[in-house]
Amino acid sequence: MVWTGLNPDEAREALVRKDKSKRDKRTSLKEAVDAFIKDGDNVAVGGFVNIRQPVAIAHEMIRHGFQDLTLSFQSGGMAIDYLGGAMALAPDHFSFKRVELAYWAHESFGLSSIFRYLAENGLVELEDWSNYNMSARFKAGSMGLPFIPCRSPMGSDILKRCRAKVVECPFTGRPIILLPASNPNVAVIHVQAADPYGNCIIRGTDATCPEMAMAAAHTIVTCEQLVSHELITRSPKEITIPFFAVDAVVHVPFGAYPSSCRRHYYFNKDHIATFHALATLLHKGNPGGLKAYYEDYIFGNHTFQDFIDRFPVRKLLEEQLSESENYERLA
Amino acid sequence: MQLTEETVYTPQEMIVVAGARTLEDNKVVFVGTGLPMIATVLARRTHAPGLIPVFEAGAVGPTLEAGLPFSVGDSRTSSRASYTKGLNAAFELTQRGFCDFGFVGGAEIDPFGNLNSTMMGKFPEDYQKPRVRLPGSGGAGDMAASCERTILIMPHQKRRFNEKLSYITSPGFLDGTPGARKRAGLLGRGPYRVITTKAVLDFDEATRRMRLIHTMPGETVESVQAATGFELLVSPAVSEFDPPTDQELRLIREQIDPLGFFVKKPVKPQPLPNQF
Repeated sequence: MVWTGLNPDEAREALVRKDKSKRDKRTSLKEAVDAFIKDGDNVAVGGFVNIRQPVAIAHEMIRHGFQDLTLSFQSGGMAIDYLGGAMALAPDHFSFKRVELAYWAHESFGLSSIFRYLAENGLVELEDWSNYNMSARFKAGSMGLPFIPCRSPMGSDILKRCRAKVVECPFTGRPIILLPASNPNVAVIHVQAADPYGNCIIRGTDATCPEMAMAAAHTIVTCEQLVSHELITRSPKEITIPFFAVDAVVHVPFGAYPSSCRRHYYFNKDHIATFHALATLLHKGNPGGLKAYYEDYIFGNHTFQDFIDRFPVRKLLEEQLSESENYERLA
Repeated sequence: MQLTEETVYTPQEMIVVAGARTLEDNKVVFVGTGLPMIATVLARRTHAPGLIPVFEAGAVGPTLEAGLPFSVGDSRTSSRASYTKGLNAAFELTQRGFCDFGFVGGAEIDPFGNLNSTMMGKFPEDYQKPRVRLPGSGGAGDMAASCERTILIMPHQKRRFNEKLSYITSPGFLDGTPGARKRAGLLGRGPYRVITTKAVLDFDEATRRMRLIHTMPGETVESVQAATGFELLVSPAVSEFDPPTDQELRLIREQIDPLGFFVKKPVKPQPLPNQF
């Protein structure tokens, strides 16, 4: 068996050795990415399609530059597109060699031309799974198990080109799928609220973020709101990622933008469409527009704040207003 | 379907209406974005007010009053939901038997209701460098496997209805042999209906091949067959599907998708401008 990331023994050992103390983990994006991600790592990317994508961390990973990463996620949108676009434009600076995924596109907003470009040119090794498969693999990793049984998708071609095994269930005698655990080297996750120790509260869908954080050897968290330990521990059952699973806490308002973040901002559909249009030109053989975008919005900036500064205040307020209509509450 | 002067609705509106009518009150439907979601909301506002939507990112039973979600993990699915966790919890519901219906789609479908949303080209040879790379399963493979009955939604085009698929992402009746799903270890009963821009189809009990049961208004058995890349079985009781009612169209256009983001409205034929 080939384990991409940590095998179950290494994953256990990583946690045993880890400094689990309750300490202040606040840091900058630059320091977090530099300290906890290295070439060749298997990186679990949090969120779900264009919900709570760790966009600020993705931009910082691109600026830092890495080689030969593996990206693991269930359904990816803008964060994955940003990473893939960087690889398409500057593979000597940033590259991943492999993706373990269930879906890479933008639902209502269309396909991912970045994915099409990379896959159709054979530039990245693919391992397809279903959404439940990837989610359950992180769950097995988080449970300290080497595998987890699963019922789907039996009979599909997915099972012919991934590491799942179909076996006879020892109890029912019927076929069942065994999925190998995923224990990534590092998970990158954006949440609504965190305290300085790394206790996290997620609003709306959890996606698979708690499982990723518990399965990974290291976790980098960005948060919309940095709150006191006293405040967050008033509702311990709302904390879905506990402090000792987290290594770095970075306060990044709009850290998932232009994807959406419940209670904070809705999608910037226009910007997603703009990026998509440039990515489609790349897929058709014209990388100029996308290159200019990266120079303008990512490479040329020193911080994620510079990226956010590119958007008119009016536009940011518009997305905040949309979200306040999605989730009505008193000021 | 040709747009004529009498036509006051679009093929997409017809799909939404057919999808809604197929759903049953007080059942649980596992739903994706786009047309299935509009069908679900329409069913709730007509004959099935007790229909319970479940979204794969984790939300159970939202009222969807804040507007149509653009994603199955959208904030709008969590607002006024009874329960929201994450993907694992949602798919555990399907395995456990909580989900009566699931909507599944794909780029390509075969006579046994298997669907492809992964790649076009030769499999497995070209898997690592496909001719066309599609998004991948997402939750479709899981829904097709473990929802009790699935409703498949397809644009009806010959190139999408093929005797053999490039790749099976979402299992239907597999090779169609008796008991194929059970033998493979699948839980749900499998494809229940196929709803397309031209027809409503089910699956023959014995052969598990796709069977025409309704033609959409303006279509005939022949026109549907002509747009299908394999031979269709035809039910002896084949009939024309009832067109959308005024009430259904009003709900879709004025309340559910007023901006026409998901469902295209009829456009009045315009005189062709002088090109160039």
